[in-house]
Amino acid sequence: MKINRYCLYYIILLLICLVGVVLPARALDLQEGEEAAKVTLSKTQEAAIVDHCATMKESLKTVQKSDARARVYLGGRYETILNKYITPLNVRLVENSLSTTSLIESQNTLASSKAKFANDYVDYQQKLEELVAVDCKNNPTEFYEKLDGVRQKRKKVEQDVQKMRRVLAEYVDSVGKVKEKLNAKTK
Amino acid sequence: MRKLSKHKKLERGGKNLVILGVASVLIAAVTTSVALAIYHNSGDIYLDRSRPGFLPDEDEVEDENDKVDDEEYDFTKDGQLTKEDMDEFLKHLKEEIQAIDDYKNPFGEEVLSDERLGIPAEEKKVEEVQTSE
Repeated sequence: MKINRYCLYYIILLLICLVGVVLPARALDLQEGEEAAKVTLSKTQEAAIVDHCATMKESLKTVQKSDARARVYLGGRYETILNKYITPLNVRLVENSLSTTSLIESQNTLASSKAKFANDYVDYQQKLEELVAVDCKNNPTEFYEKLDGVRQKRKKVEQDVQKMRRVLAEYVDSVGKVKEKLNAKTK
Repeated sequence: MRKLSKHKKLERGGKNLVILGVASVLIAAVTTSVALAIYHNSGDIYLDRSRPGFLPDEDEVEDENDKVDDEEYDFTKDGQLTKEDMDEFLKHLKEEIQAIDDYKNPFGEEVLSDERLGIPAEEKKVEEVQTSE
């Protein structure tokens, strides 16, 4: 009887944990869902969505897969650049008493952009997963609304990638300037 | 009387065993659900390429193997900086950036465009009708 009671307590505790994890996540999803814009589809568009529903879902799954590849590939490259190039050079420049303000700024911007990229990618994938789960045969309008939301999230991820590329270009320029300074110093 | 109490004990033991078994299964189910919920909500699931349908293609595996074979460049955090160090650093950094640029149009918007998904652009058609009128 004792075992029975403790088991019950344990199960209740775990259920509370489960509710604590799942409900806030659902609530966040609902809040974001409310922001989705209402769209009006023409009959031709509705018919196209209903007719090509299966093909569209296949296309979206292919996009999911190719995006996962891009995320892992780019994420790995950013990580390598940050940890194996930018951070060691900045530390070494400080040790060599060379001005590094712009380089440290670039390092911080890249690190924060990388974190934003990771978060935006997760948001985007969650929306894409929701989109794939929509029954487009019976709810074409809902499907299109969600598609619009996914496009916005994808745009954010693309902007993060472009921003990081700009930061890297700035960093290379700054390193070039430091190199010139170093040349002048040694002459 | 003695025989009956032994039978009762056995019965109670069996009952407890069933309760223990059911409780174990329930606990395992609940903890697994919590773990899966965390795995999903944290977004780790989207980075996991060992999922069915997300496994790396053959060409990716070959690229990875090639990368392992390549000699790795290591820029040390200490020591005197020379022009040669900076040149070598820039050369390798530019190679890494080039590898990012080689990945053509990541997360481009045209992949999810109406045209690509087979949804007709209705507005254009309406405009065309208006101009023809």
